[in-house]
Amino acid sequence: MIITFRMKLALSSFLLLTVPFLHAQTEKLQEEKELEVVNFQSIKRVLLEDGLSQAAEQKKQQVSVMKTEQTNLEMARFNYPPEDQVWGFVSEYWLIKNAQVLGWDFEKPDYGIENSFRSTLETLGFYQKKFKILLINTPSTVRASLPGSDGEMILLLSVPFIRSLDLSKLEISLFLLEDYFRLEAGYFKKAVGTEKLTKLSGTSFYGQKADMSMIEELLKNYSTQINQKGYNFQQQFEITKKMDNFLKGNPELWNVYFRLLGKLQNFIKTNSQYKDYVRMYPSPEMQLKWISPEEKVL
Amino acid sequence: MALLFIFLSLFSFGETTPTDEKVVGVFYLTPLFGHIHQSSARTSASLTTVQCGHPVKVIESSKVEVSSDWAYVQVADYKGFVLKYYLSPKRPECFQGKYPKFFDALNMDLAELYYWGRLYDHYVQNETRVK
Repeated sequence: MIITFRMKLALSSFLLLTVPFLHAQTEKLQEEKELEVVNFQSIKRVLLEDGLSQAAEQKKQQVSVMKTEQTNLEMARFNYPPEDQVWGFVSEYWLIKNAQVLGWDFEKPDYGIENSFRSTLETLGFYQKKFKILLINTPSTVRASLPGSDGEMILLLSVPFIRSLDLSKLEISLFLLEDYFRLEAGYFKKAVGTEKLTKLSGTSFYGQKADMSMIEELLKNYSTQINQKGYNFQQQFEITKKMDNFLKGNPELWNVYFRLLGKLQNFIKTNSQYKDYVRMYPSPEMQLKWISPEEKVL
Repeated sequence: MALLFIFLSLFSFGETTPTDEKVVGVFYLTPLFGHIHQSSARTSASLTTVQCGHPVKVIESSKVEVSSDWAYVQVADYKGFVLKYYLSPKRPECFQGKYPKFFDALNMDLAELYYWGRLYDHYVQNETRVK
């Protein structure tokens, strides 16, 4: 009896000691429960069902796109202009740098050249052509045609030269037409352009110092081309022939051009101030020969 | 109603002055640089130099006669003249705005900025069109 009682007591004692332990083993800890809430994997399904995961992904993509755009915008601030815009900019910058030498900042009469030249171009069928004419107050530089931005042209013409030659509006227009043809033929860009211009135009110098030697080189080349080098015989021949071809259809204009070359030839011969003109634009005498009608031998 | 009255009073005070000047509109300078001239002549003295995209108030006044090519304008405290050809009702895309770091790197001095404005005053320009 006593033995049976002792055995029961021992069993109940054992159960009393082990049951709480077993209970603790099966039930999750509070920390474990919290971890489950924080653990994304456990709520992933819920989030997917709510579309929250998709929204988070979209937001992430938006931020990424915005960051890329912001970087691109910041990098674009460091861009060199594209070649076409560099030409227009440098042409004007050269005019600014040489403002005192060219003497264009002076009061001048309104010759109405812009309307006369426009009319000449239209007569010959040149439409949608934008041009700027700048009259300069120096005999040293007689004429020049510079590339502008967006296909525009900048034409320079010396007022002392116009006065000395006593040029009419039509004669001035034909002078400008020659310069327009020179620019269209690309002689100027070919003579002045540099490797650096082609290499750097339109690129970015983000994270580096801008290489402004590109502009310095161009400015130097502009001065050399306009004041020293000019155009060669071959180029002059091509331009004179082009003038001849275009003006032949309009005998009145052709005659004015022919007389203008004669006038120029005599003027250059007798006026030492313009002796360099022949070197830069060879030569009115040859031009006359190139377009003179062949004499018929009877 | 009172609020409307105050608003209208302020508005009319801002738009007109005792000399019957009226703001026609706000326009923007289109060339790289430009001058506000003392008179409506290309070679007249410059009151101030403004750069591309700068807003200018075009004003009308019975006391100021302006030829068809020119606009009478106000920029800050300066009242003067600008060629209409160089004004746009929309803010233009300016070279210095598109390539700011390149433009800064040129380090242009005041004389160059002045001459750049003058250059546009001296250009005579046109465009051929299909008749």
